[in-house]
Amino acid sequence: MSRLAMLFDASRCIGCKSCQVACKQWWGLPASETTQVGTYENPTDLEPNTWARVTFHEYEANGQFQWLFLAWGCVHCTQAACVDVCPTGALKHNALGFVSLERELCNGCGYCSQACPFKVPRMETVNLLTGEARASKCTFCQDRATNGLTPACVKTCPPGALEWGERDALLEKAHARVEWLQSRGYDQAQVYGETELGGLGRLFVLTAPPEAYGLPVNPQYSTLVASWQQVVQPLGYLAVAATTLGLAFNWLATRRARLSNIEAVEPDATEESEA
Amino acid sequence: MATSTASKPCKDRRQVLVMRFTAGERVAHWVHFIAFTILLGTGMFLYMPALRPFAVGEAGEASRLAHRAAAVLFMAAPLVYLIWSPRDFFYSLREALTWGPDDLGWLRAAWGYYTRGDTARMPPQGKYNAGQKFNALTQIITFILFVVSGLIMWFGRGVVSPAIFVGSVIVHDLSVIATVALFILHIYLVAVHPLMRESITAMFEGTVTEEFAREHHGKWLAEQEQERVYRRCRDE
Repeated sequence: MSRLAMLFDASRCIGCKSCQVACKQWWGLPASETTQVGTYENPTDLEPNTWARVTFHEYEANGQFQWLFLAWGCVHCTQAACVDVCPTGALKHNALGFVSLERELCNGCGYCSQACPFKVPRMETVNLLTGEARASKCTFCQDRATNGLTPACVKTCPPGALEWGERDALLEKAHARVEWLQSRGYDQAQVYGETELGGLGRLFVLTAPPEAYGLPVNPQYSTLVASWQQVVQPLGYLAVAATTLGLAFNWLATRRARLSNIEAVEPDATEESEA
Repeated sequence: MATSTASKPCKDRRQVLVMRFTAGERVAHWVHFIAFTILLGTGMFLYMPALRPFAVGEAGEASRLAHRAAAVLFMAAPLVYLIWSPRDFFYSLREALTWGPDDLGWLRAAWGYYTRGDTARMPPQGKYNAGQKFNALTQIITFILFVVSGLIMWFGRGVVSPAIFVGSVIVHDLSVIATVALFILHIYLVAVHPLMRESITAMFEGTVTEEFAREHHGKWLAEQEQERVYRRCRDE
């Protein structure tokens, strides 16, 4: 099956946060108590209870002020650091192409939350002392998506800024939209997510540069993460194998030496001990 | 030269026992051993993809708890040593950090010993030979690395930067690789190596025969003979 993806068109978003609410509703996630800190963002960051949220950005271009909105959550990378560091297999690439999370497999190590270049997975710490914790993030409503439904946020989006479908088709649509936006004077309009980290599962049509939305311009798969898998782990197996082989050789060599030694000293062993 | 210097001559000089490890040293060693083994076993669940079933569900919960409990034990082991046997703690620390010509001699003779069991060119060694000093140094360094990186992974998520956290995972793993290689070597030397079986008795009962001490730690035995303290006959 071809890869499914989500397309967020910033030029259509009205910042209503329906996606945020629909996500909470579908997953039964409680709202967090927040305080007014001078922004329309609420809450001001992703949380264990908040897997999708709308971010608000003030942007000025050509002497014109713009208020930018972004429907934010896991972007479902192809080169997904979280999948690669997860030691329990709780985070996986689904057959449909997105990054699924089986929460009952999560053991709370938190590696994903630290390896993600977008800082998406959030840890709910149940007990700091025992290390009990659970990772959480947007799964593109894996229960709905694998049963042929669109994710809850897409389903609810009033202005149709969110779309769900085959990735190739959505990319085509995104480029056509960018072309149209550019013809209408949005000369900074661009597609984000087509090639980043092997291609994201969440595609963006932006009317301003990614930085203006707080998106990393060139997100990187951390070399530390890569070295853990590709260097450190194989090195461990190699070290154990080399040590065992080396000692097996030593055992044979020493045993032979001892046997010939015993033969040599056996006749006058008592003399030898007095020497 | 040997039997005559014993405080009380034994009938058979192979029965002369020399005290090698005090009770405090032995307890600290076994606390460290038990903690390390639990930490290694439960840590492998996250290291080896084949062992994933042990890292999830109730097994995962148990191993996560066991790893933390053992970590506390692991951190406590050197304190047991320091508090119970401070004199030996500092003696051993000084020994491990002091390298002399006899250690270089040991390193030069090590290849012959490794390939042929040849002890002829092995200079007499102190309480710890160069190999044991190398082991002790690695243990000290990796102990610090284990504790620092482990505490960061335990309590530091969200406090330290992601790079430091991910780096800690790698430091933890590299320390595992170094200590596991030494662990295999250590088990081999005390339990499998044809010429060293006796050294495990030292860690259980505290004593070795004078013969073993002379062969393996001649310089140390000479010190003990001057002090005439750590010495008794078997069955007395």
